[in-house]
Amino acid sequence: MSSEEPKGRRALEGVRVIDLTWLQVGPQATRLLATFGAQVIRVEWRERKAIDFIRYTPPFAPDHANADGGRSQGIARGHANGSFNRAGYFNNTNPGKYGITLNLNHPKGRDLLRVLVRDANVICENFSPGQMDKWGLGYEELRKLNPRIIYIQTTGVGKAGTYKDYVSYGPTAQAFSGLTFLSGLPEPRPPAGWGYSYLDHSPGYFGAIMLMAAIRRQRLSGAGCYIDMSQSETGLMLSGTSIIEHQITGKPTERYGNRMPFLDWAPHGAYRCSGEDAWIAISIQSDAQWRALIEEMGSPDWALDARFATAASRKQHEDDLDAKLNACTAARERYDLMNRLQARGIAAGVVQKAPDRFDNDPQLKARGYYVDLPHSEIGTWPVEGFPAKLSRSPANVGGATGRAAPKLGEDNDFVFGKIAGLSIAEMAALADEGVI
Amino acid sequence: MNTRGNLGNSLAGLTILEIGDQLGDYASMLLAGLGAEVIKLEPREGSASRQIGPFASTEPDPEQSIFFWRYNLNKKSAVLDVDDANEQSTLATLAAKADIVLLSGEFETVERRLPQWRQLAEENPRLIVCTITPFGLDGPYRALKATDLVQMAMGGIMAVCGYDPDRDGQYDTPPIAPAMWHSYHLGGEYAAVAMMAAINFRELTGEGQFVDVSVHEAVNTCTEVAIPSYVYAGQTVMRQTARHAAPSVTHMRLSKSADGVFMLASLSPFEREMRALAELADQVGLVHVLGTPEFAELEKEDRVAAAIYRNDLLEQLVESLPADELFHRAQSHGLAWSPIRRPEANLDDPHFTARKSFATIHHPELNRNLRYPGTVASDGENPHFSYTRRAPRLGEHTEEVLRHAQS
Repeated sequence: MSSEEPKGRRALEGVRVIDLTWLQVGPQATRLLATFGAQVIRVEWRERKAIDFIRYTPPFAPDHANADGGRSQGIARGHANGSFNRAGYFNNTNPGKYGITLNLNHPKGRDLLRVLVRDANVICENFSPGQMDKWGLGYEELRKLNPRIIYIQTTGVGKAGTYKDYVSYGPTAQAFSGLTFLSGLPEPRPPAGWGYSYLDHSPGYFGAIMLMAAIRRQRLSGAGCYIDMSQSETGLMLSGTSIIEHQITGKPTERYGNRMPFLDWAPHGAYRCSGEDAWIAISIQSDAQWRALIEEMGSPDWALDARFATAASRKQHEDDLDAKLNACTAARERYDLMNRLQARGIAAGVVQKAPDRFDNDPQLKARGYYVDLPHSEIGTWPVEGFPAKLSRSPANVGGATGRAAPKLGEDNDFVFGKIAGLSIAEMAALADEGVI
Repeated sequence: MNTRGNLGNSLAGLTILEIGDQLGDYASMLLAGLGAEVIKLEPREGSASRQIGPFASTEPDPEQSIFFWRYNLNKKSAVLDVDDANEQSTLATLAAKADIVLLSGEFETVERRLPQWRQLAEENPRLIVCTITPFGLDGPYRALKATDLVQMAMGGIMAVCGYDPDRDGQYDTPPIAPAMWHSYHLGGEYAAVAMMAAINFRELTGEGQFVDVSVHEAVNTCTEVAIPSYVYAGQTVMRQTARHAAPSVTHMRLSKSADGVFMLASLSPFEREMRALAELADQVGLVHVLGTPEFAELEKEDRVAAAIYRNDLLEQLVESLPADELFHRAQSHGLAWSPIRRPEANLDDPHFTARKSFATIHHPELNRNLRYPGTVASDGENPHFSYTRRAPRLGEHTEEVLRHAQS
């Protein structure tokens, strides 16, 4: 594990982001801005109902983990232990950010937010639609304070549109947009969908793309921007060729499992290997590769059947083909088979689970993908990195703080003191009043 | 630009040369939707992605690939063999005027082309050279063969998607790679992020740079709790039918509506949602014990039994109404439910029409318009991404591009 030290200037240096987002879909975008050097200030509040759900969602750091240790102290199932700072997923989602507490239900809290917005470049939120307007903190209000401000909000369906009041989480948006339907084996099997909230992640990547386009323009011309981001709309963007094909053929979209209906490729799927729930993905793209595959399998009689001689014919008999290939791979060790098939020029890869990816993937290790970062309560833990190397302005998930996620309110003194210019006495008074 | 700062033209003035295959199509199309000029330099036989179906024609035809259409909106195409020694001076004049060159494809191909770009970057130090390869340009896996399926497998998404195990925890179905090229989506989105970071850096410093995107790592970033569950607690999450992978099997299941549509109808552990379920059940005349002391007792004593009871009731409710009616009723009670729609069902949905989510693209060769999903965000009036031109025909802009290079 290694962290590439930032050297020289950062792509987003001098950019201040007021981050009111929570859960996953908003914090993903600001994580990427922090990675490129923006000063991201996460604004939270202490009341249980206002606290980011993933601050108290497992997995937690082991109970024995402390600030001076971390993963090196060993892992175990941990507990929150009354703290909002021990959740591992939160730590992975929010590295490189500053953390403050600010009560937006208090008029003084809203005033303080306005102070921060005045010099900020970007403000991000993913509250229910209309919440910021209720506080008098909507885009139209904030741009009066700061005409350059870039305002992005992310909601399930979007703030504009017929369903603007509908509630939606990532899975809802996936079902609504068609992504859930597209995943899985054909009818009558139900859709397999997604094993997580894909649409809590991709909109974050899009958010970063749009925000960086807006930041560049703001730097060049001073222009501001309002972005009403929709998770469901993002789902449409990710629905591939399905919607366009339907307009041409008039046929309903169908699922096709792991097969490849768009190219003459077969076999194409996940095949069982030895061991519990062990699988390998194999994509055969030509007849020559098919012949290399059956040679690796010991040239069994069934494979020489004329039905399997050409791609078109293999596709016609794909159920039988898959069943027979599965019977052959089932005795093989998955990584050994992957290496042997790759040596024959075949695209084959183990269906890797978390232990495979974290402990054993030599590529991720060599590229320094996981990055160790310190956290002020639970110590040093690996977080997932950025998937590209930039030669002059490297990605650095530890961002401006050089830390993993902030503790709740960890940077109140720095932000309210140094940035908002409050005195220690003023801060103490605001804390007493339940504002910060 | 309107008062809300529409981004559709925000990258106007930037020129991207795109050389490669399906790994790069989407990344540059995203920046083309924000106003960048993207010029595809294609070999005489056309880019590899022109061979990917589905096709609008009965037989495969490089001008009829719907895949190519979808991922190459707004771009120009010039036929120029970048590997031909005779074309190097033309390439150099194009490179001198470009802001970004995007090289995508298998490692060997990209690696072979890189030295030439290192040299061109010396001549144009503002140039950003971005590569997208299956595993990145270094590391022991760099030359492995990959397809979308293989990347989804090795990157970890497949292991968390699929169907429930049987009662003994054994899986009789394989892990599933969700359909429609998501490893290329992920690689493309991150490449766009990285290119935007490089462009921002160049505005500050005047310096270009090299950007090396790994699709393998891009897929790896996107498995949510899978890695933290293992890193912090040593737990491996299990894939489950149409719901989140988790360290153990959860108790929700999919049910079909009265008109035969699977429904995403899940409940969060919030009292508000339990009350909403009870109200919906009352509306359709289902007899139940939700909200009674009897049920409260059951929840206390046997959480699993209570969950099963709730799920049974949920199933009866879903079966009693058509999907769309249940959708709107549930939403009016604050429940985040939705039918599991086919993607095309959204073409006529008033919500997406109101948001202008689909870009209307004219295809003169078909003598018709097609509607493409065209944005992820609105400025309140118009989409932030702006797509107006169909994918280019092979070499459609060769003359224009070469003339501009010489000028």
